[in-house]
Order: sequence, then structure tokens, then C-alpha cells
Amino acid sequence: MPKTKKDKCKQTNSINQVRYGCALGALHSVTAIPGAMPITHCGPGCVDKQYMSLAFYNGYQGGGYAGGAVTPSSNLQEKDVVFGGAKHLDQLIAASLKIMEADLFVVLNGCIPEIVGDDIGAVVARYQKKGVPIVSAETGGFKGNNFTGHEIVTEAIIEQYVDKFAPDKTTKKKGLINVWAELPFQNTFWRGDLAELKRILEGAGWQVNILFGYGSAGVKEWLTIPNAEFNLVVGPWLGLKTAKLLEKKYNQPYLHLPILPIGAKQVGDFLRSIAAFAKENEVKTEAFIKREEKEYYYYLEYFTDFYAEYWWGLPASYAVASDATYNLALNKFLVNQLGLIPAKQIITDNTPEKYREAIREEYKHLADDVAAEVEFIEDGYLVTQTIKQGEYGHKPPIIFGTTWERDITKELNGHIVEVSYPVSYDVVINKTYIGYRGALTLLEKIFTTAISKSA
Amino acid sequence: MPKKINLDMASVEPREQRLGTIIAWDGNSEELHEQSAYELRGQKERGKKGCGGNCRLCELSGPFTQGAVCSEQMVECQAGNVRDAVLIQHSPIGCGGGQVEYNAIYRNGLAMRGYKVENIRIINTNLKESDMVFGAADKLRRSIDDAWERYKPQAIFVASSCATGIIGEDIESITDEKEAELGIPVVPLACEGFRSKHWSTGFDATQHGILRQIVRRNPQKKQEDLVNVINLWGSDVFTPLLKNLNLRVNYVVDLASVEELAQMSEAAATVGFCYTLSSYLATALEQHFGVPEVKAPMPYGFAGTDAWLRELARVTHREALVEPFIQAEHERVKPRVEELKKKLQGVKGFVATGSAYAHGLIQVMRELGIEVDGSLTFHHDPVYDSGDTKEDSLGYLNQHYGKVSNFHVSNRQQYQLYAFLQQVKPDFLLIRHNGLAPLASRLGIPAAPLGDEHIAVGYDGMINLGETILEILAHKKFHDDIRKHVKLPYKQWWLKQKDAYILAKHPELIDDDAAEEYSTEERVEVGAHA
Repeated sequence: MPKTKKDKCKQTNSINQVRYGCALGALHSVTAIPGAMPITHCGPGCVDKQYMSLAFYNGYQGGGYAGGAVTPSSNLQEKDVVFGGAKHLDQLIAASLKIMEADLFVVLNGCIPEIVGDDIGAVVARYQKKGVPIVSAETGGFKGNNFTGHEIVTEAIIEQYVDKFAPDKTTKKKGLINVWAELPFQNTFWRGDLAELKRILEGAGWQVNILFGYGSAGVKEWLTIPNAEFNLVVGPWLGLKTAKLLEKKYNQPYLHLPILPIGAKQVGDFLRSIAAFAKENEVKTEAFIKREEKEYYYYLEYFTDFYAEYWWGLPASYAVASDATYNLALNKFLVNQLGLIPAKQIITDNTPEKYREAIREEYKHLADDVAAEVEFIEDGYLVTQTIKQGEYGHKPPIIFGTTWERDITKELNGHIVEVSYPVSYDVVINKTYIGYRGALTLLEKIFTTAISKSA
Repeated sequence: MPKKINLDMASVEPREQRLGTIIAWDGNSEELHEQSAYELRGQKERGKKGCGGNCRLCELSGPFTQGAVCSEQMVECQAGNVRDAVLIQHSPIGCGGGQVEYNAIYRNGLAMRGYKVENIRIINTNLKESDMVFGAADKLRRSIDDAWERYKPQAIFVASSCATGIIGEDIESITDEKEAELGIPVVPLACEGFRSKHWSTGFDATQHGILRQIVRRNPQKKQEDLVNVINLWGSDVFTPLLKNLNLRVNYVVDLASVEELAQMSEAAATVGFCYTLSSYLATALEQHFGVPEVKAPMPYGFAGTDAWLRELARVTHREALVEPFIQAEHERVKPRVEELKKKLQGVKGFVATGSAYAHGLIQVMRELGIEVDGSLTFHHDPVYDSGDTKEDSLGYLNQHYGKVSNFHVSNRQQYQLYAFLQQVKPDFLLIRHNGLAPLASRLGIPAAPLGDEHIAVGYDGMINLGETILEILAHKKFHDDIRKHVKLPYKQWWLKQKDAYILAKHPELIDDDAAEEYSTEERVEVGAHA
């Protein structure tokens, strides 16, 4: 037998059914910033693969202004491997500045330049000296996944662009916060989710740098990052590294709330925690919660008839196989709002080891009387095996997962709600599953799926 | 000795070396044909004198490119789609992104052909930074074992990657070792993205591995009514077509079983729908396994389909059956084609697909009376592997359907498509591969994405394609609307250029002006919505 080891979850190095992109996939964190354009220094298929998987066959989100087949790429060839590709990159950057219209360029490399040793930082520095808004990010694909890549890209923009171009880096603006939450494009619903997140935060009195998506003022919003009163990290771990960097760099404290809020209970806790942390906006927060809950429970009251007396059986137990952020968020909502029974919880984003214990703790008190175990598995084959072992009682479960879970869901005669990359059987435009409004959409989705069996 | 495809080497010889493939060129289709010198090159392919290595087709090469496609992706969409095999990607995780796309394709393909829909079986070895230093032979061994334990496949394919190519992983010795141990073919496929400038080499890489390790050598029996049809996942149009000649279809490579691949050597003939895809496999089956390749124009339009059927009938000794069938088909289809011609009168189309496939589609469009004065192909093969002029698809298009005045070779470069479309202003596009239709849409031009590659094949193909075009012309309302509400990511300077290849011809236009602009000018931000 080969000398490779299996981990606690029997994982080898093998990855069946991928559930994240590579570090270069974070080119999508660039295209998510209005006005920013990636320039990629990589093999000929790298951009297409990351785009087609993260942004096309994942909710059909699309490439938009700077993604898809728009993104400049050096499409490296044998000669670049043999002689080095730095000159090729230099030409590509010069040509991109001539042809492409953008407020910020982010140069990302793939595996090839990383292995052959192209110094992309040196090439980019030449343009930076001339005042071009351009940064370099070393995102060689073997360095990690697109979550890692996202942090590399974010920090590159802060260090090389924000720090240089921000007109004022010392003034702190009361009530202004930077929000670090979902990973754009990887999370299929990020656009709608970030819009709802911004809406509820603004409703509670905050001024919000949401930084990605339609609600962001684009590159110029990034220049106000240093002026925020504090950073808000929403989710179990992504963004913590960036928040710590900003704490050191701009003397900004940060608040970490591991639970992305879904539904009235979670949103209420979420907004109150922020107000308490900053000792600010307490009154506005309470007024907003009151207003929103009135609306939320108006709809939920009508939903009650269905949930209380639908004759033909509704699912009682569930499994979630997703990234950490959605996994924890869904579990909180399903347990506390609906009273569903957690059977199998699998986090698939290769959460860094140092954050795992804290996440396990969260699952130990999903509610006062409900605890669950969570497993960290990236290999899709083992995800399937694990879901198969779940105890779901006498009724078929709901599986919250990815397109990869369609086969096992059929085998279990269950119901599938695709919530995590890849979502190849849902067309997503601005749908959200979070906050007040998203929670109601999620209820519609879950139960439409569940009752459709007889359709 | 005629020049034969070399199956002794573990790695396939890239297209540019075998065929002189290019990825950028501009002119008209007759000039391209003349410069390609198919016949002269073909003589070289057949080992006669020919032009040797000297008849280079001039290729344009500029400083700007947008993300293209790689050979490994084509391996995923072929070897990854074999129903009872497993494909291993020996690569960092990024290459694994393809699993998502090719799973979507595989599931749709299975559904289209009536097979049980299930997930694609591709395993990534997930190489890390330290593997780049120390190598990852054990990880590959482990993943091969995982593939075996999990799926008990009939064959295991191992695709290389840019990373393993550069660090010099010896994949072949591991696949040899595992093949002996497991007793099934374990097939290395050399498909590093940087190794060939065009992704179609990935087709050849897959076919090369199948020819070397899966196709049955010295078969005990011949199946005189079996025809290998080299295709992708397209709908089953060949079964009804070939039934009229008492022939059965053996679809390869996609959605085939390993046994169906193995029996290719028992077939009476091999055909394809596109020489770009079928050239290598069909030629090698003839040269190394004695299965004749049907060398004819591709089955598009009346003339192409007639000629293709006649040649297939000749090779399989079914001449008596073919003429009545052709006549009946003409009578059946012609009235429908005439109706479509009326509806499509005055409509102008533009093709943007792979090379030989584009030639076929233009034929069908011209049968339907659609004007085509501009098109692009992602690459151009000046000759195909057999070297036989009967496969000269561009020559056939020019000769029987007339030239295309604005003919471009452009490897999925969206920024160039803008200039092409301004020049000829088509009403619609036919496309394969993603990336170009989104731009056309933003210019108000609908595109028909031909996900089912068989849509235009044969007599019914004319009707199918005509109806598809009418459907997408109706979509124009959407595209016209979106056109008014989006901003293109290209600078005015570029949008004003008439020549899409200007930067290849005048690289001096790229000076540092553009860089200076950022420090001197008050720029209007492009990205601010809020």
C-alpha cells in the first residue's frame, strides 16, 4: 500500500466531487467588486475551469463585467515554462491597461508561474510606481483553496491599494462598519445574502461597507475601509484573518459573530450583539427588530396552517453538507425555527484546523435542548458515505447539500435543497436565504421541494 | 513507408506538431484554404514528398489574450464520460473545478441518451505545495487504489496537469505498475495545458490512450454491421440514420462503456461528425487496426450528407441500399427546408465554433438560404491526420457552398469578437463552448448554444438547425433590451478599432500611455452602482 495516511474521517488525499475552487478561483472575489478587474497569469484552462464551476454551473450566476471569458489571461505555453513568463505577464498587463476599462486591476497567478518562479510582484511594482491602481496576489493553485485565495486577494488589495490610495487612513467614522461575510460566487446566494445583510444592518442604524456585490460602491468604497469604526466578521471563520490584519494596521477592533443569521430569532440576536459590542444604535436596533418582526410573523402566521396540518407528511430530520458558514446558519434556523432534527452535519470547506474546535462547540448547543456532531470532510465520496449512515427515522430526510448529493438523496428517497457549491440545478439571480426575508424564501424552497413528490 | 500515427510513445504528439494547427489568423476562407495547402501537407502525412516541415501557415500572435481552454478539459469531457471507468486528475485542486462542469454535461448526456442519470466519477489527487518539491507518486498510487476500491471500474484513466508536467512526475511507471496489479487498463493521458496551444490536443490525448491500452488487438471476430461513431454526448441521431443501411452504431468516446471502446477494432468502419474530434482516432483505427475510416465530406446539408452516406455505403458494401434512401430522404425533407428558407429569408448568421464543425454548420446555413459573410473558428488544422483530400472540410465548403469573406481564427477571444461582429452585423450566432455568446448578447445579438452537437447532422439536421435559429431569433427581444442597459468592459480606444488583430500587427501601439493615464487624468469610475 502507498505511504499516504488517512485522517480521522478516513480521508486520503483523493478528492471526489469537488466542493471548492483553488486559490486562483478567488479571481471571483475580484470580479465581485464593482469596477475591479482580474488579470490572470496561468495556464490556458485555469480561468475557464474556475469560472465554469464557481460562476456558471453554480446557480448560473454569470461572469458579469469582468468575469467569464472577459478576464485577461496569459494562457501560458511551453516557452513560458522553459524561459519564464515574467515578460509575457508584463506585456499582458500593458495591453490590458490599453484595452480594459477598470478602476482597479488585480494580478493573480496560477500554479505554473509559482513553480517556475516568475516574480509577479516585481512586474506589478513597475506599474504601481507609475501610479496605476494595480496589485499582485500570489494564488498558486496548490497553495490552498479559494477561501485561502480570497484572504490572499483581500489582503493584497488592502496592503497594496487601499493603504496607498486611501485619502484618509486615521479618521474613524462613527457607525461605519466593514462587513466580512460569505465568499462571493462560491456561496451561490452571496449576492442576495449580502444585500439582505446590508439592509438589516442599515435598518439597525449602521453605515455599511459591504465591499462585494451590487450593494457595494465599488473600488472607492474599499478606500474607506480604514475609516470604519470596527470590522464585523460574520460566519465561523472566513474573514477573521483579514479582520486581524486590519486591527493591527488601522487600529480597528473587530466583532466575530459565527452565525450568519437566518430568521427572526437569529437576526434579533445578531443585531443586538452588534449594538452591545459598539454600545451604539441600541434604540434604532430595537425599533428595527420590532418593525421587521411584525412583518416576518405576519407571513409566518399564514404559513402556520400549512406547517400545522398538512396531511401528506413533512420531513422531520435533515443532513447538511456545505461550507461552514451556511452549515451553522442552517442548523440554527432549522432547529430553532422549525424544530427539525439534525442527523448528519458535514462541513466541506477545509476549515483551517485552528477554527474547528470552536465550530464543534457551536453545534453542541444549537438550542438549549439540541446538540449535534459535526464532521469535517472534503472528499465527496466520503460525504455520500457519511450521509448514508445517518439515522433519519421513519421518514425520508431533507438533504441540504450540493448537486453531488442528488444521487444519494434519490437513494434515500429524500428531498434535496441545493445550498452549497456546486448548485447546478437552481438558477439564482438575487435570491437570499438569510435575514428576515431570506428565511421566508428558504421556507418556501424547503416545503415546495418536500411536497412536490406527488406532483 | 507512409507516415503513421505513432502509438509507441506514451504521450500524444500535439496538434501543432502533427498537423500545423494555428490559433490566430485573418482573411477569407479561400485564402485560408490556399495557405493551408491541404493536398501538399496531406502528401506529407501519407509519407510522400509534400511540403515537409516548411509550409508554415502564418499565425498572428499579439500581446493580449483572454482566458482560453486547455487540453485537460477535453480529457475530462471524454475520458471522464466513459460510463464504467474512473478518471484521475493528477493535479492540484484547481483542475478539479472541471468536475462540476463535466458532471453537468455528463448528467445531461446520460439523460439525453436514456441512461440512468448519476454523478461523474473523477478523482483529484489534490496536490499541495510540498508535492511540488518532493513529487507525489504515492498520492497517485493512493488515488488509483481509491478509484478501484470505490467503483471497481473497468478502466482507470490518469490525466496529467501543468503542475505534474513541470515537476516531471513519472506517471507512466505508476500506471504500468497499477495495471499489472489490478488487471484492468490503467491509462496515462498526457494533457498538460501548456504543452499545446490548442485544447483539441486533449481529444487526441484521450484517444491515444484508448488506442494504446483499451482497443482490442487482433480481435477474434469482426462485426460487419457495426460502425464506430466518434462523437461527444449528442442525442442519438445516428441510429435511425444508419438503420437504413442495416448498420449499428458504436458511439465513442463519451457515454461509451469500456467494452464499447474495446470493440472499436471489430467494426466495419469509423465515422465522425467533425474531423477536429475524429481525425486522430479514426486514422489510427485504420492504420493500426484495419478499420476503414469513412473519408468523405462531413454529413451536413444535402450535398455533404449524400456524399457521406454514399461513402459509408461503399466502405460497408451497402451500395444497393443507399440510393433509394437518399432519394426518399430528399423527398421527405425538401418541402420542410423550402418552408424554412422562406422564413429565414434575409437573415444573416455567424458561426463561432471549433474548426471542422464550423465548416459543416456554414454548409447547413447556406442550404437554408442564410447569408454567412463572417465566421470564426477557435483553431484551424490545415490538414487532418489521414492526409486524405476527401476530408478537406474547408475546401469542400469553399467549393460547394462558396467562400466566407471574413473568416477568422480566434481562440475564444471575446475582445476580438466585438470587431468581427461590428464588421458583418449578423442577426444571430451559432456557438459551441462558452464565453462568446455573453458578449453577443450585450450587443443585442442572440446566439444558439449547440450543446447537443448532433443538432445539425444529416437531412433532419437542416430542419433542426433552421427551427433552432427561428427560436433564437425570437429571443432577440431580451438581448435588445439588455444591450441598452449594460456597459462593456472595453475601452473606447479598443471599441473603435476595426481590425481585431491590430495589436498582433502593431505591438508598438501598446506603450505606456495607458499606464500614464492613471496618474494624470481624472478618471470616471466605472464600477460604482451605489
